[in-house]
Amino acid sequence: MTETGGSLSGRAQRRALFSRRNNGGYRRGSSPIAWIILILGLLYFFLPLISVFEFSLKMIKDTYSFEAYRVAFTDPRFFLNFGYSVLWALLTIILSLLLVVPTAYWVHLSMPRLRPVVEFITLMPFVVPAVVLVFGMIRLYGSPPVVLIGSPILLVAGYVILSLPYMFRAVDTGLRAVDIRTLTEAAQSLGASWGTILAKVIFPNLRVAILSGVFLTFAIVMGEFTFASLLNWRAFGPYMEEIGAMRAYTPQALAVVSFLLTWGSIMLMQLVARGVPGQDQIAGAH
Amino acid sequence: MAFLEINNVSKIFGRSTVAVEDFDLQVEHGELVSFLGPSGCGKTTTLRMVAGFETPSTGEIRVKGEDITYRPPNQRNVGMVFQAYALFPNMSVGDNIGFGLKIAKKPLEEIKQRVEEMLELIHMKGYGDRYPYQLSGGQQQRVALARALAISPELLLLDEPLSALDAKIRVSLRQEIRAIQQQLGITAIYVTHDQEEALSMSDRVVVMLDGHIEQVGPPFEIYNFPKTEFVAQFVGTLNTLNALVHDPASGILVVDGQNIQASHALDGLRSGDSAMVSIRPERLSFVTDERKANVLICTVENITFLGSIVRILLKLEDQTFYMDTFNNPYLELKKIGDQVEVTFSTEAVLVLNQRVVA
Repeated sequence: MTETGGSLSGRAQRRALFSRRNNGGYRRGSSPIAWIILILGLLYFFLPLISVFEFSLKMIKDTYSFEAYRVAFTDPRFFLNFGYSVLWALLTIILSLLLVVPTAYWVHLSMPRLRPVVEFITLMPFVVPAVVLVFGMIRLYGSPPVVLIGSPILLVAGYVILSLPYMFRAVDTGLRAVDIRTLTEAAQSLGASWGTILAKVIFPNLRVAILSGVFLTFAIVMGEFTFASLLNWRAFGPYMEEIGAMRAYTPQALAVVSFLLTWGSIMLMQLVARGVPGQDQIAGAH
Repeated sequence: MAFLEINNVSKIFGRSTVAVEDFDLQVEHGELVSFLGPSGCGKTTTLRMVAGFETPSTGEIRVKGEDITYRPPNQRNVGMVFQAYALFPNMSVGDNIGFGLKIAKKPLEEIKQRVEEMLELIHMKGYGDRYPYQLSGGQQQRVALARALAISPELLLLDEPLSALDAKIRVSLRQEIRAIQQQLGITAIYVTHDQEEALSMSDRVVVMLDGHIEQVGPPFEIYNFPKTEFVAQFVGTLNTLNALVHDPASGILVVDGQNIQASHALDGLRSGDSAMVSIRPERLSFVTDERKANVLICTVENITFLGSIVRILLKLEDQTFYMDTFNNPYLELKKIGDQVEVTFSTEAVLVLNQRVVA
């Protein structure tokens, strides 16, 4: 009898606890203020996008259609400029990886005290506007001894600087998540050279972090306008601006395409992060 | 010529931080030598110098007579097992074990065969396709051991390999490591701060303190005949008692007004000198069991039951010391406050070097 009573009492306690938890959860999850904030946030974020998308469908009067998209995709200049941007993005990614990964790795391994300095340098594009950067580059490399005006090197170098905060942070986060020193020493004791260690141990273990940086860089370069325009190179950004000056609906369609490209990159990051054994973290988020 | 020679090696970090000082050690082929000491005593730094991860500030390191002091770690043919396992997370168990062989550009068939051999050696056959994150800590460390051994290194270095594991696995794995080391006849250096580990596995133990060697010797010697107070205190439980030398030629000392005798003359000490005497708790027994050369009359201060052992705290006039007896369910335990006679042999009395331990 006592036991049954105790059991009932225990059950009642568990029910009460469960109920409290649920009520607490209900209060926290369903607070009207929280809902209002969430809805306002979603509206702030999605309303302009929906408006742009809706507007891009109105090229033919009184009906919704993908005519603006058809026009955009049938314009040969679209693919030409898009292709150029992809090329710039790929070159930027290669150069960024060659610059950032060994630097970040070396800083983590041998000079951890320098990490804040390197991090500060990589944040410079957030402080110095792109237009200032590009004029600085034109001034510096527009006259001897080093003349790079007219060479795509200057454009790609500019993009590398622009993408530094994203690439460095992605790689840095990846390096912090792995015991780089011990893995390096383990590989060394097994006879591996520095090149082998980087290629076989460090790069594969930073795959997720590197891919995060790669996709972010890709998205940034694909939508960039200032550098390409002022250095006078073909790219998707200046093309969008040029079309925007002449047409009403096609630029909106291109804006939606550009946005989808960025989202696609982020989704790819998530997908890649899921598929790597032993790695369940992507850059910027432990 | 010893297999491994560490000759007068010192390591100074920065301008004045002395991590290792005048470290001198010869290790014979097939020997397992443990570096034992508290944190910061320089044992890992010494191991890292042998591995090539640190460069000695002075001195030299030789393997089979060849000077390897400044040789890069990837050219030393030294296998290393780390405390944190250090398995490559992106590689399967098989790929981890075969990594060193791939670097050495061994034929694929040979690598495959060697990986299988190693998996069998560590009793993990069939685990080749798993990834490190799918293994327990003990299994990961066994794979790390197999990986280090796969390249047939001249020297195996183990840096506190069992520290991250739970007590039971530690015991079984240390036996496994020792068995494999003996089976392969490989020369090994084992760094640990766990005295039980060092004593149970090693051919010789190097006890270190503040960057230098306190004592080198077989486990039996280190435990039973410590040369310094630090070694005596660090290895096992030890009673240390302040004594006055009474008759150095006969080895007689006075502890709290009672005479005790050492088995040898007290060289270098004169009558009236103060000395530090140490006696292991397990070397003491009650006179009721057997009367030996030395007898001390004392009072029972406390009794602690430790499972297989009963630890009794005894008090002389001013000083206290412990006595360990095996647990016996039919033993009539003394009571706190009882006056008892404790006896021990002259060999149980160790007069220590006067090293002051902070």
